[in-house]
Amino acid sequence: MAMQSMMQPGSSSPYVVSNRRAKMRQLQSRLLWAATWVALSLVVLVIGDILWLVVSKGMHGLSVTTFTTDTAGVAGGLQNAILGTLSLIGLSLLIAGPLGIFAGIYLALFARARVATAMRFANDVLAGVPSIVLGYCGYTMMVEKWGWGFSVLAGAITLSVLTLPYIVRMTEASLRQLPKAYMEGALALGLSPASALRTILFRPALPGILTGLLLAVSIGVGETAPLIYTAGWSNFNPAMHLLKSPIGYLTYVVWTYLNEPYAAAHQLAYTAAFLLILLVLLLHIGVRFLQRGTRTSE
Amino acid sequence: MKKTTKGALLAVAATLSVSVIALGQGQGQSAHTMAQSAAHQAKSASKAIDLQETGSTLLWPLFQLWVPAYKHVASNVFLTPSGTGSGVGIAEATQGVVQIGASDAYMSSGQLAQTPGMLNIPLAISAQQIMYKIPGIKASTHLHLTGNVIALMYMGKIKYWNAPQVQRLNKGLKLPHLAIVPIHRHDGSGDTFLFTQFMTDTNAAWANPTTGVGYGTSVSWPAVPGALDGVGNSGVVQIAARTPGSIAYVGISWLNNALKDGMGEAMLQNRAGRFLLPDHATISAAADKMTAKTPRDERISLIYAPGPNSYPIINYEYAIVKETQANVQTASAVKNLLLWAISPKGGNQASFMGQVHFLPLPASIFPLSKAQIEKIH
Amino acid sequence: MKISRLFGRVFYGTTGFAASSPLLLLLLIGGVLLYDAWPAWEYQGWSFFTGISWNMGNMYASGAVTHHGVQAAPGASFGILPFIVGTLGSSLIALVIAVPIAVLTAFGLVYKVPVRASAILSPVIELLAGIPSVVYGLWGLAVLAPFVQNGLGPLLAHLGRIIPYLAGPVGTGLGMLTSGLVLAVMITPVMIAATRDLLMQVPRLPVEGALALGLTSAESVRYVSLPYVRRGVFGAIILAWGRALGETMAVLMISGNANNYLPPNLYSPISTMASTIAALLDSALTDFTGMAVHALALIAFTLLLIAIITNLLARVLLQFGHSEASVEV
Repeated sequence: MAMQSMMQPGSSSPYVVSNRRAKMRQLQSRLLWAATWVALSLVVLVIGDILWLVVSKGMHGLSVTTFTTDTAGVAGGLQNAILGTLSLIGLSLLIAGPLGIFAGIYLALFARARVATAMRFANDVLAGVPSIVLGYCGYTMMVEKWGWGFSVLAGAITLSVLTLPYIVRMTEASLRQLPKAYMEGALALGLSPASALRTILFRPALPGILTGLLLAVSIGVGETAPLIYTAGWSNFNPAMHLLKSPIGYLTYVVWTYLNEPYAAAHQLAYTAAFLLILLVLLLHIGVRFLQRGTRTSE
Repeated sequence: MKKTTKGALLAVAATLSVSVIALGQGQGQSAHTMAQSAAHQAKSASKAIDLQETGSTLLWPLFQLWVPAYKHVASNVFLTPSGTGSGVGIAEATQGVVQIGASDAYMSSGQLAQTPGMLNIPLAISAQQIMYKIPGIKASTHLHLTGNVIALMYMGKIKYWNAPQVQRLNKGLKLPHLAIVPIHRHDGSGDTFLFTQFMTDTNAAWANPTTGVGYGTSVSWPAVPGALDGVGNSGVVQIAARTPGSIAYVGISWLNNALKDGMGEAMLQNRAGRFLLPDHATISAAADKMTAKTPRDERISLIYAPGPNSYPIINYEYAIVKETQANVQTASAVKNLLLWAISPKGGNQASFMGQVHFLPLPASIFPLSKAQIEKIH
Repeated sequence: MKISRLFGRVFYGTTGFAASSPLLLLLLIGGVLLYDAWPAWEYQGWSFFTGISWNMGNMYASGAVTHHGVQAAPGASFGILPFIVGTLGSSLIALVIAVPIAVLTAFGLVYKVPVRASAILSPVIELLAGIPSVVYGLWGLAVLAPFVQNGLGPLLAHLGRIIPYLAGPVGTGLGMLTSGLVLAVMITPVMIAATRDLLMQVPRLPVEGALALGLTSAESVRYVSLPYVRRGVFGAIILAWGRALGETMAVLMISGNANNYLPPNLYSPISTMASTIAALLDSALTDFTGMAVHALALIAFTLLLIAIITNLLARVLLQFGHSEASVEV
């Protein structure tokens, strides 16, 4: 931030002797910063346009019935999709959450450097695997080979694989940023690493870990490709069955209902998109809030 | 400082618990389950049953009409229809992922050999029309087209709408010098099956067994730069309507939508050489000529029927169903649904059929379909 | 004491297992894909990557044909060159547009934008990274495709005399250019965030020193900050490229889904490898020989390899990201 104020006053150093070359250099400097402003405003313009499109078109499709009725034919409400998205996310969090947090703990506290490097690399690659590839594997293994059919569990497991790397990464990072003295002091007092973690390290690391979970949720909420072939789609609210019972989700509505040549269907797609953006926005606000919490507590 | 952290934690805990509660409600007390228990009380003998139908986007609008009507017949059956293309319908029904696959195409012998015990049950008769978007041509003017000329367009041999081959068929009509954009189905589709069968019947190069395109629910389309793909009949109508110069094959249940979007409907040349639109008279004329040959397993093409009044592209709309269902309840639910669907007093009544321009199952075919439905157990 | 030690052991083991789960999952996915894809490799060989036609063969033929010991429908051939070209074309367009914009924006955010405005802008840009890809597809379909069809496309087509690949016809706006633009919008926020974080780590002293020596602010950025972050930015670019290569839904909605030909110009409809899997899995399942599904598995396996390679590259670049801060004037 010091740099900010340092560079703010003028676009060039005040000590430059005024001559032609200096003017050229100043001009170049101005041009670069002008280009920067152009790029920045382009980005802002695009963000604004996307948000404007979705909010302006999605908002007036929103009503109480959106939340209280199911999709039927080309119109209806989104209750089944909203509940379906929540079920898928909730279940995937139950799977990926503990797994990811444990993995992060191991990487931060126990793993030897080389092993950790390999594990971290595998984790990064997993995060980079295109989601449709995961969807394909989920379909051939769970839906077909194991005979689960389109089901909540198949969808949730696929989502878990997708979101796991982000939870691992955030958990490890939040444990690592704690002062080394915490752990060393605890060990010196004769605590085992596990109890040191439980009694001393876990609390300060918690906001970071929760951030990872929220990040995972926001990624899971927006996924479509891995769910089409694992979760299927249903016009009804999620039933209690984990297997053989397909389930709805919001992104499906955006994707398919845009394809229908009915105004009502388009409206529903925009409404679903609006809800998705709203959800992501809330999650990001949550993340910000948590991050501020960690910063002030340090 | 500590306070903020605590506040943050509390807030997060609150959000999480709220979402958990919402989840719990979603799973525990969903409207579905409540309706199920209501149905349970009403008909204590019958349990709530989930049925999945997927496939043909041509049949999908009809299922949309059927679902609310069937709720009055059997309130314990929860049927989700989805329009995913006949290819999916066949695939997922044979895979056992859904109970009912909908298809405009019957299964191939190869598929049947692979997965024995599959039934192809006609539910109604439908047709397909060829549509185009040419600015300046009025909706009341129906372009005359032959299967051969359409095949040449789809092979990229005829590139512009005012090409002599097209102009010759439409004397007196001023066609623009506009590039032809063929639109195909991207998903495995019964409409593709019907269309490519018609092409195979009318164009020798298309029919060539080694170098031609042939027919099927998915074919390898000739490379025509600029040609576009749509997913489902809905996608095809969407894309064709926004593309000047487009030509597309569209299932008849989507006719109203396509016309509303400013598409034109072509008159097709039939085997007898006459140019016809698909309507009740021309579809039933074609059906009269073809349905008598229907075999016991009901797998038959009705394309390019003889007769002066026969419209060339008509077909059976199939329900693709596994003979052996997961359990007795599911089997009887599927059976009852399908029996209702083909009944002239149930799903086959004119009020449903008229809205999607379908024809009910001919009286001579009804027993064949019924016999197949009875096999489900 | 004993119990706590046992607990410690169990805890250690559990976390160790959890930590190896990403690796195990990767191996599982790789194994499943390889197993599924092998028949397609045997059937098609290298021509899988060089062939232009994707043809499941005649589904209504009476039987399958056997070729290299595996069965397929008569006339079946699986060539994915058009999908490869579509994937590379659209993702390179995305990079060409996104890289300068993202890097410039990051510089602006760090050095020029007032702190308060930056505090608002940064999270908004991060939000952009979290928007579901179907929403980008929606925007592409509703806003960008008409813009390419009626505005940008005809404008660029005028340059067709100089660069033939830019010549028309522009078509419907569903195609390579639109896909590239949407991908650019999708990867820009990720790259801005990465570049911004890298710039934050540039030590202040050299930059201040450069200014004290009389360099303009642009020069200090060019000669001090940029060399310092260059490799890191390359790493971020490669990761973003990986994301663009694997994007499915947005591309599926706006690419026009072309088959069997290479894009003759910039506006031509295309398919990408990832979008092809999503679009064709349905119809591939109707192949009674199963070969079409094997072919899709081979595409998926190729994508997995690409993911591994891009991550390796990015890792190498990022690891040495801070080691070289040389000034070359």
